[in-house]
Amino acid sequence: MSANKETILKELENAVKMLQEEAAVEAAKKVLANGISPVEAIEKGLALGIREVGEKFERKEMFVVELIYAATIMENAMKILEPEMKKSKEKRHSRGTIVLGTVAGDIHDIGKNLVRIMLEAGEFEVHDIGKDAPTESFVSKAKETSAVIVGASSLMTTTVSVQKDVVDGLRASGVKSPVLVGGAAVTEEWAKEIGAIYASDAGSAVSVVKSLIGKG
Amino acid sequence: MGAMGRGLYKLKPLDVMDPNEAESIHVNSLSLLEDMGIKVVSEEGLKLLKEAGADVDMKTKIAKIPSHLVMESVKKCKRPVRLCARNPKNDFVLDGKHCYICTDGTGLATLDIDSGERRPSTKRDVADSARVVDYLEKMNMYYPLVTPLDVPKHAHTLHEFDAAFNNCEKHITSGATYLKEEAKYELKMAAAVAGGEDELRRRPLVSAVTCTTSPMVLGMTTDAAIEFVRAGCPPMMMTMPLIGATSPMTVAGAVLVGNAQVLALTTVCQLAAPGSPVCYSTEPMAMDVQSGLFEGLFPAANMVRASHVQMARYYKIPIFVGGWGSCSKLPDAQAAYEKVLSAFLYYLAGTDITSGPGLLENWTVLSYEQLLIDYEIYTMMLDMLKGFPVTDESMALETIRGVGHEGHFLGKKHTLEHFREMWRPMITDGQTYQTWKASGSKSAVDNAKGKAKEILKTHQVAPLDADVKRQFAEIIKEGEEAIPH
Repeated sequence: MSANKETILKELENAVKMLQEEAAVEAAKKVLANGISPVEAIEKGLALGIREVGEKFERKEMFVVELIYAATIMENAMKILEPEMKKSKEKRHSRGTIVLGTVAGDIHDIGKNLVRIMLEAGEFEVHDIGKDAPTESFVSKAKETSAVIVGASSLMTTTVSVQKDVVDGLRASGVKSPVLVGGAAVTEEWAKEIGAIYASDAGSAVSVVKSLIGKG
Repeated sequence: MGAMGRGLYKLKPLDVMDPNEAESIHVNSLSLLEDMGIKVVSEEGLKLLKEAGADVDMKTKIAKIPSHLVMESVKKCKRPVRLCARNPKNDFVLDGKHCYICTDGTGLATLDIDSGERRPSTKRDVADSARVVDYLEKMNMYYPLVTPLDVPKHAHTLHEFDAAFNNCEKHITSGATYLKEEAKYELKMAAAVAGGEDELRRRPLVSAVTCTTSPMVLGMTTDAAIEFVRAGCPPMMMTMPLIGATSPMTVAGAVLVGNAQVLALTTVCQLAAPGSPVCYSTEPMAMDVQSGLFEGLFPAANMVRASHVQMARYYKIPIFVGGWGSCSKLPDAQAAYEKVLSAFLYYLAGTDITSGPGLLENWTVLSYEQLLIDYEIYTMMLDMLKGFPVTDESMALETIRGVGHEGHFLGKKHTLEHFREMWRPMITDGQTYQTWKASGSKSAVDNAKGKAKEILKTHQVAPLDADVKRQFAEIIKEGEEAIPH
């Protein structure tokens, strides 16, 4: 049984690493059939795979398309594991909770999704409130989850000012967590001006988050 | 293999003349050769033409060549032409369906990669630039970019071959072969690498750019062309009219004079070695009408070249076009726009080969940075020139339906299956401003310099056999004595 478990965990990890969607789904089904803990399957299987893909992406050994495809594979495998995970009430280990979204008025969410994938690969629990997300949603989700960091993305120059609304809204409601801003139209100067912290891409978002949490 | 299909997906060559106009150039070329004739300075060339029935005046050296003789010669040219290399994996075929690229020459100065100083070129520069070309996957052939000024001048081509063969496993072409004797010793070196004359004939490891002289002269380089065809190695039969000086001031006039000269040299080559491989070649220059200086890549010169490409296609002879030789003194914006506008036009017109990456100041100064920039430009061109397939699979109809409204294609299998086809930069900057700034605010020229230095530091080429090296030393020694000086 234990050898079998090791094999299945390795299958999950490899399926993500080697971008094999069907193999990932098959392995996830085996997890349930063999009574393996879904949390263990994620943490010692799928997550190891996505972490390696993320690291390779950072080192420019893998491509953005592969990173996103790997994340899609992981999501599909997780869908199979989720019902069992809910039943067992086991919790995943997390380095911190983060709320992430694309600001109101902007529907560009590919960059934000990349940040989510990289954060999740870095063992953060991410609550993604999606694109064109109202400022109030950033505030309420941050409160609800006791988020240690809030991330607000804006690709368009016309919506960067909404990032300021997000910072102001959070502060007005007493949320003191650092706000991470990014997106094509955002600059370091702008981030400073509105009292936020800047990350230029998905990889740097993870290192910025890690350094912020280290300090905290 | 660096070969890429032009028109792999039905991209049609661009005709800069309509078919009747091309026909007029052809008919008038034949008429000039038959009525006016061409002066043939080469004794052997003149003799061959006389024996074949041309009307030759031995005093004026003018040969009036009957049209049928020209056309029979055009028919005899070997097709397709195969260019081979020291390493057979680098062999390639000029079949009219693929694009290739070569360096050009022959410069006299080098922008030193370390100091940036413009200094006389050396044998080391030939070796180093050959090594860079060996490294660059899609570069197909090497033409010594500079001539070494630190070797006996009359035997410089032999030293170029020595440095080139020792540092580059690709096809080598010689751009500065003027004399029969030079050609003989170059071919001896090539035969030493190939493993004998018969083997060289079977696998031509070398070719030579042999120029005609405008207007309407076949000069001494004709002798070199004859040596090459007899060895089974193709000459690039080049015409280089100076528009307004050695050809009429008009594009059509320069096209006509140049085409007539190439047809004359084709005739001599096919009389010397029937069925031998030859290439049409063109590198006109345009006049700066204010100063009287010449610039290789002014629009008129580009149009003459594109017209010659059309004529080469008309004769079904492969063509080697000299381009990329900006008059700029630096790897700058002028260099980039002149090079792109020239080379891309020739490829669109259907050329087999263009030459000239890495050169500035009208093909006289080598810049390693420019060599890398031009290579980057070329890979971008190739990616467009290959065209693209339109099939059920490539249109991705089902994937589009699957993604639906909004959403994206990034995580789709179809994307995963195709993303590797996307062109990728080697030195072009596509980073965000912040990342760019953090990594040193580097320009494309800086990136090119870094890449060139890295290649020169790390890329190794397998050495020639000790026996071949020994033969090289003997041939060079003999050549240094025998080549007239």
